[in-house]
Amino acid sequence: MIYLLLITPALTLVLIVFGFPIVRYSWLSLHSYSVLTGLDVIPNTAANWVRLLNDDRFWQDAIQTIRFSTLSVSIELVLAIAIALILHQKIKRRGLVRALSLLPWALPTTIMALGWRWIFNTPYGPLENILNTIGVGTFNFLGDPRYAWLTTVIADVWKTTPFIALLLLAGLQSIPKDLYEAFKLEGGNSNQSFLRITLPLLEPYIILSLLFRIAQAFGVFDLIQVMTGGGPAGTTESLGLYAYLNAMRFLDFGYSATVMLASFILLVFYCLMLWILLSISKRIYELII
Amino acid sequence: MTLQLINISRRVKRNWIIRNLNLEVGDGECIALLGPSGCGKSSTLRIIAGLDKPTEGQLLINGKLVNNISPVDRRVGMVFQSYALFPHLSVAQNLSLGLKVRGDSLTKQKEKVSSILSIMQLDEYSERLPIQLSGGQRQRVALARALLRDPYVYLLDEPMSNLDAQLREELRPELRRLILSGDQPVVYVTHDQHEAMAMANRIAVLNNGTLEQIGTPEELYKKPSSLFVARFIGRPQINILRSSTNIIKAIRPEDIQIKAEGIRCRLLQKEWLGINQLIYLESPKGHIKVICDSRKSFSDSIYVDWDESNEHHFDAYTNKRLN
Repeated sequence: MIYLLLITPALTLVLIVFGFPIVRYSWLSLHSYSVLTGLDVIPNTAANWVRLLNDDRFWQDAIQTIRFSTLSVSIELVLAIAIALILHQKIKRRGLVRALSLLPWALPTTIMALGWRWIFNTPYGPLENILNTIGVGTFNFLGDPRYAWLTTVIADVWKTTPFIALLLLAGLQSIPKDLYEAFKLEGGNSNQSFLRITLPLLEPYIILSLLFRIAQAFGVFDLIQVMTGGGPAGTTESLGLYAYLNAMRFLDFGYSATVMLASFILLVFYCLMLWILLSISKRIYELII
Repeated sequence: MTLQLINISRRVKRNWIIRNLNLEVGDGECIALLGPSGCGKSSTLRIIAGLDKPTEGQLLINGKLVNNISPVDRRVGMVFQSYALFPHLSVAQNLSLGLKVRGDSLTKQKEKVSSILSIMQLDEYSERLPIQLSGGQRQRVALARALLRDPYVYLLDEPMSNLDAQLREELRPELRRLILSGDQPVVYVTHDQHEAMAMANRIAVLNNGTLEQIGTPEELYKKPSSLFVARFIGRPQINILRSSTNIIKAIRPEDIQIKAEGIRCRLLQKEWLGINQLIYLESPKGHIKVICDSRKSFSDSIYVDWDESNEHHFDAYTNKRLN
């Protein structure tokens, strides 16, 4: 019974910072609570949820959030594995290289988002300038509803890849060198040792960073707010941004809570699907390898 | 089958890890590489396996120069100190992985693995992960993997150092039966002289990357070629006698007899060891240790003596043997 006592402080903290908001949001989402109600909390059964289901902007933002998270986290993971493998090699000035590679992650998001906004600026930004000079033509990166969301993906990848790389590097360092040597003596080449030793033993670290990043990407706010403000035509707007707008601009706290809660449910559902997908692909991987 | 090291040296930056090592391990012979940590014994093993490259010298397996042959083609069966079992694979998968990457068919893999599992009495553990095994079982899996390799040479890197003393003793006969009884040369790295004496036909004592002496356990014990070997082989450690000349004289604790008269000593301490006891004495030639019958009891003054022909003499400057 003593273990219950021991986990009580941590459990209490989790309940306060995690449980309370969920309960509060659930309660709020079942009430009208906005500037129109004179900031009175009025029960409205499921009116917020009915509104949500018919809200095109919500669904567009949900799709945007999902595609943003999926694409940026996938690219980040692949790049981070490559970077972690490089940083794990015996290269000259390894400490310095490792420290430098973390720099993008250490920059405050707003600062680096401003930087990327400038890089993608039309017609004055450096990227536009380069593409013009080499004759590729003119693009309206931040203004084209088809591609604008990709610029936010690029910025997010640039910022967060080093963090995943660092996590995976820690994973690589936890794999004993002996295993590679034993495998080498058994006849394994370097590709095989990556596929049969490194990747399987890195799996827990990959799952961990996936969880971290997906939860983070689902709640993306500052990067989008600074780079595009959700535009053009709302194509880069994330659920976090929409919830913020509802609360802080439209002063509709009831509906904002509904959007927040819906995005939380979406995240749980997304992680569940991912988990199923990962288990299946792991089975297939073990079969084909 | 033989293994030959000819003038093998290895340098890392400006440090010589191994210098001019010559070693020949014959058909079915087990050589123990013995020495303190950092003496180069593990490096020697890694060079033989092909995990490290020698800076100079030649390495021959079955008379064939293998300096530039890849580790896998040298066909060595190595047991790592940590066992190096793949933690994410079951016992059976650990054993079949090598067969798989070397291209054996699935049926052949299964056949070989199940036969080795039954030889090693590991059948019931085949589906377990290494973490679910005891230390001794892990060691047997590591041995099984080396056996499966059907190697030209066995390389054992401190194979028992992670086991407790009792288990070590139990595994010795098994190791002898499985590996030492074959016709492959065996190189057995250890820092434990008891283990070296128990397992090896010959012992090579290494110190600072050079070979101090190589010989049978008996030769090393009876005629250590240097003071280093004399001190390293034999427990309790050899007594170094105080001397005013350029000759260092040493006598083993078991070669000293307690007599009614002789050199007068004062008793300092006693250690009761069961069949015998170890007594610490203060003599005119310095502190000495003596092994004697445990039933004896002593007063504070004890007279000891020894046969001078049992003394080992070493040069005080070179530390080499003189007699």
